[in-house]
Amino acid sequence: MSAIQGIAVRGIAACVPTKVSQTDDYDLLAPEERQRLQKATGIAAHRVSPPGQCTSDLCQTAAEQLLDHLDWERGSVGALVLLTQTPDQPIPATGIVLQDKLGLPSTCLAFDINLGCSAFPYGLATLASMMATLGISRALLLMGDISRVCAYADKSAWPLFGDAGSATALEIDHSAPSIHVDLMSDGSGRDAIIIPGGGLASRLPPGDWPAQPAQDDDGMVRHPANLRLRGADIFSFAITKVPPSIQRTLDAAGKMPGDVDYLVLHQANKMINDTITKKAHFSAESSLSSLAEYGNTSSASIPLTVCAHAQRFDRERLVAACGFGVGLSWGTALFSLPAGGVLPLIESDHVY
Amino acid sequence: MNADDFIEKFAFAIEVEAATLALDTRFKDLPNWDSLNTLAVIAMADADYGASLTGSDIQNSQTVGELMQVVQGRMG
Repeated sequence: MSAIQGIAVRGIAACVPTKVSQTDDYDLLAPEERQRLQKATGIAAHRVSPPGQCTSDLCQTAAEQLLDHLDWERGSVGALVLLTQTPDQPIPATGIVLQDKLGLPSTCLAFDINLGCSAFPYGLATLASMMATLGISRALLLMGDISRVCAYADKSAWPLFGDAGSATALEIDHSAPSIHVDLMSDGSGRDAIIIPGGGLASRLPPGDWPAQPAQDDDGMVRHPANLRLRGADIFSFAITKVPPSIQRTLDAAGKMPGDVDYLVLHQANKMINDTITKKAHFSAESSLSSLAEYGNTSSASIPLTVCAHAQRFDRERLVAACGFGVGLSWGTALFSLPAGGVLPLIESDHVY
Repeated sequence: MNADDFIEKFAFAIEVEAATLALDTRFKDLPNWDSLNTLAVIAMADADYGASLTGSDIQNSQTVGELMQVVQGRMG
């Protein structure tokens, strides 16, 4: 893929709710199983939104603070793209609602993209390409998800997923370093992470909702509108397909792993991320993680991880960000973050 | 591919003593077997044999020996 020229990443902010759920307190697993889960996944806790808080709320808090930090007039923002798998409602797109709630002008284009784990490289490529082509000088890239789509009783999913929203600011800058991306998809793996119900393909007449929870073939009891995760298939996909994506991106940029300041992987679990880091020839120290405290936050995981390590971005850094999962969809983006552009992680339960 | 070697790596991956396993061991009947072991075995096959296994490969194999044959078929 060609590099994207003339677009700078100006800053990143991320927001999590205040309520902490400890893996040690998840009462559907025996105490020794809780320990084992933490050792394998690296997830000791995740954040849980209060019932009324939605993806838009977490993203709005992050966006407001980022706009203030950059001292950007609301009227100067020409595009807003939200990547989420858990929009506030099926229609209209939550990104359009956020254009209004953030006080952005009606000249600001806005829409949603349905991507989760791979959101960051896809979102960056989509928005930066549009800006460069259409001449949009400033834009907001929002990503966030709420984990309420997981059944509490689903031991294979509930303890892993946390809630978060984020905002990334992009601006036209003809002196900006190139952004290199690699984007891939494989819909044959669509069953690996799926919410089977709620869409028209579930073939339930509207009057038949709410459907009843039932036991799946993996023994877990779920409602058709709950998320189902086939962890082994995701694991196998991730360790096989993701390292070559990182390699292709570095090759296109003429870089070696040692030239990159930080590798920021989608935070899936420790076994997956350690394996990818090793196979991509990055050191463990250069691969940032936020798994222990925040778990897997779907589309927000890359910006959240950057913000959880905000103090490391006190000078300009070259970052390789790699997302992979639901779709199946995966990709890598190599880009620079300016000194002081990363806000420390925000905590908020605010509902707008 | 050496069977003793495979058994040793398999045992290390699922954190049991190699001496407790044989090619005819039905690994999913082991008391400590769980879904996280599935991930550990996929990681082992990838790291030690360059073989890509899926969840259903492990689901469909009953014994250590059967799984070894699957890994053997995926190598190189």
